[in-house]
Amino acid sequence: MLLDAVLSNREGSAARNFILSAIWWSILGMGAGMLGGLEFSMPDLIHNIPQLSFPHLRMWHVNAVAIGWLSMGYVGAMYYMVPSLAKTKLWSERLGNFTMWAWNAVMVGAFCTLINGSTEGREYAELGAVLDVLVAIALVTIAANVYMTVVNRKVKKLYVSLWYFLGALFWFPLVYIIGQRTFVALPGLNDAIVGWFYGHNILGMWFTTVGVGMMYYLLPRLTNAPLYSHGLSMLGFWGIALFYAPTGTHHILQSPVPEWLKAIAVISSVFLLVPVLTVLTNFFMTMKGKWQQVVTDMPLRFAVTSCMFYLVTCTQGPFQATRWVNWYLHFTQWVVGHAHLALLGTFSFILTSAIYYGLPRITGRDWHSQGLIRAHYWLKFLGFLLMMLSLTIAGLIQSAGWAFGVPVDQWGLQIRPYWGLRAVSGVMIVLGQCIFAYNAFKSLYTPAAKAADAKTAEVKA
Amino acid sequence: MNGYRLGAIGIVITFFTIITATVLLPMVLFNPVPSGHGNKYVKSDVVNPARGRQIYVREGCFYCHTQFTRLQDRGYGPLVKAGDYVWETPHQLGTARTGPDLTNEGGRFPSEWQKAHLINPRAVKPGSIMPSFSHLSNRDMNDLVGYIQTLGNQRTVHAYVEAPAEYEQVYLPRKTVDTNSDAAANAGRGIYTQNCAACHGLEGEGNGPNSISLEKKPANFTRAFYKQYPDAFWFYRVSEGVAGTRMPRFNEILTEEERWYLVAYLKSLPQNQEIVIDKLDQLNKVGQVHLPKLTEQEWEPHSGGN
Repeated sequence: MLLDAVLSNREGSAARNFILSAIWWSILGMGAGMLGGLEFSMPDLIHNIPQLSFPHLRMWHVNAVAIGWLSMGYVGAMYYMVPSLAKTKLWSERLGNFTMWAWNAVMVGAFCTLINGSTEGREYAELGAVLDVLVAIALVTIAANVYMTVVNRKVKKLYVSLWYFLGALFWFPLVYIIGQRTFVALPGLNDAIVGWFYGHNILGMWFTTVGVGMMYYLLPRLTNAPLYSHGLSMLGFWGIALFYAPTGTHHILQSPVPEWLKAIAVISSVFLLVPVLTVLTNFFMTMKGKWQQVVTDMPLRFAVTSCMFYLVTCTQGPFQATRWVNWYLHFTQWVVGHAHLALLGTFSFILTSAIYYGLPRITGRDWHSQGLIRAHYWLKFLGFLLMMLSLTIAGLIQSAGWAFGVPVDQWGLQIRPYWGLRAVSGVMIVLGQCIFAYNAFKSLYTPAAKAADAKTAEVKA
Repeated sequence: MNGYRLGAIGIVITFFTIITATVLLPMVLFNPVPSGHGNKYVKSDVVNPARGRQIYVREGCFYCHTQFTRLQDRGYGPLVKAGDYVWETPHQLGTARTGPDLTNEGGRFPSEWQKAHLINPRAVKPGSIMPSFSHLSNRDMNDLVGYIQTLGNQRTVHAYVEAPAEYEQVYLPRKTVDTNSDAAANAGRGIYTQNCAACHGLEGEGNGPNSISLEKKPANFTRAFYKQYPDAFWFYRVSEGVAGTRMPRFNEILTEEERWYLVAYLKSLPQNQEIVIDKLDQLNKVGQVHLPKLTEQEWEPHSGGN
């Protein structure tokens, strides 16, 4: 039947489709990032093709990895985690699949518009009006689906992951609608204030909250250990809810926006150390006595790596947001490294862990190759470390250049080796992601597995 | 469900409080008045800078070029003010400087140079990593260059620097000191000796003891040129310092009235024939005799005086 083919009602199909779409967009998104990185080293690599000039690749890269890879992957992960935590089925698989199509339509639209330079010209909010509305609709339907699943739950108590998921699905649609400024034209600096409220809260109220919720879900399951403390996890949740949202203005600390707004942003940024440290204490105490499992359990290794990067990124963040450090580091590649540490190091790793853990349980098919998982881990991990190192060093050189009044032409030459290293790291990461996609494809679509499909389809988490 | 009502209410209240404080409140409280120094996009027969701005947005220039100067930036022209950005939407402040800041780019290079730089950046700037924008049509290119040439032109100095509008309109009308009187100049002399003499010299000849170590030499106020300075401009220089030099912003240190007394003294310094300082021994020297003689107890008040 056509309806079943397009909007499948099969259990777990929405989660599976979201995850597979996420993997697809991750390759296009990270690939664009890699190409952009190569252009820093070889500026004349691509000539006269406007679609592949760096600014267009950069727009597409950010939107593809944030809205495509991470967000779609997050929704896919929530679609299997929430029912499993609520001990019930997803409220509506059909609605879930509808959202999946809507979101993929957004991504196709984003691809066609952004690489042609059709943009609203607002960083992180580049998508045009039609796509904005579509994303908003998709977010609201996802929220409805998840909220209704939780309402129909078979257990009384809400596990902390659900707090995070439900919180994120309440906050993020609002943040998105406010932050896109689709139908308004605010005066310059007010535009910047709202823009950075959005730019920072897509991270704080969506990537962090859902990502940390996934860590809370995965770590106890992967280690077969109970969560160390429920009270501590609640403290972390409320800390994020209180201190994350007002931090946006720390992105424009040295522009002529009101000082009181900057003060609020800096203070809440520093206070963010509180939820971060409570969350990580909880994780590391849960891991106590289980660390050796990291050697053999690949999803756990991804998850623990993600927690380690979370520690680094969230100590870096408050440090950079203070005025004097920001004075020195702002405008440089250090910040780009920090952004990659959060989105690639932390949240991409936890999402990968969730996919490695979840996909076999949704589809009933084991991973095609454990060796490829290891290859993926090492390529992505080492590639990322190389990227972080090169961007941080490049950033420090740039900072010194700005602080001591060295002209751009001069420090520009000094950071060329680091652009080169960054390009190499990009190639490694994209290669890792391609291996991941190949592994997923082989696991799901090999003929041998197809024969066993009927029997294993019932196996679930 | 009821067990979680309190939590849900808490989340909603927290979030809307934060949105009110950091999104709505700035909209209400922060409405900068146009400073008159923002970019003006005047269309001519040849170029349309407003359209050039759209090209700037379309080509994503703001990913690598910022449009705000900071206090610590050198060689990027006058500092921006909140009122400069009133008409700039979507804002192009930018977030990373992979290339130079463009706040005051207009007029720094000829249009032909800008065009050549867009077509082949490495032809005119060896070592640059800017991508080539040779795919732009001729009309796009002209409009983009037209836009770049308007950047900061309202802030750009043609013959001499002018004080921002608020110095004429706000500070001058509420001046309480008669800056032409000898009495005010006398009062300003003490403030000058305390705050300015170390660099500008005791007689304002730019020969303070500090001047020897400064890259940009302090002004010699005996030059006839300074007779042209209107009161508001003196007041602006004293209040906001001189970008790119060690001249500090005295609005952080001195009250408005003290600064006007200082202006009164400064106005008494220019002479018809300037006193040229061209020898090292013309510098003011820090003499031991000028140091106050302190007792041991005053040097180390916490030692209990033996």
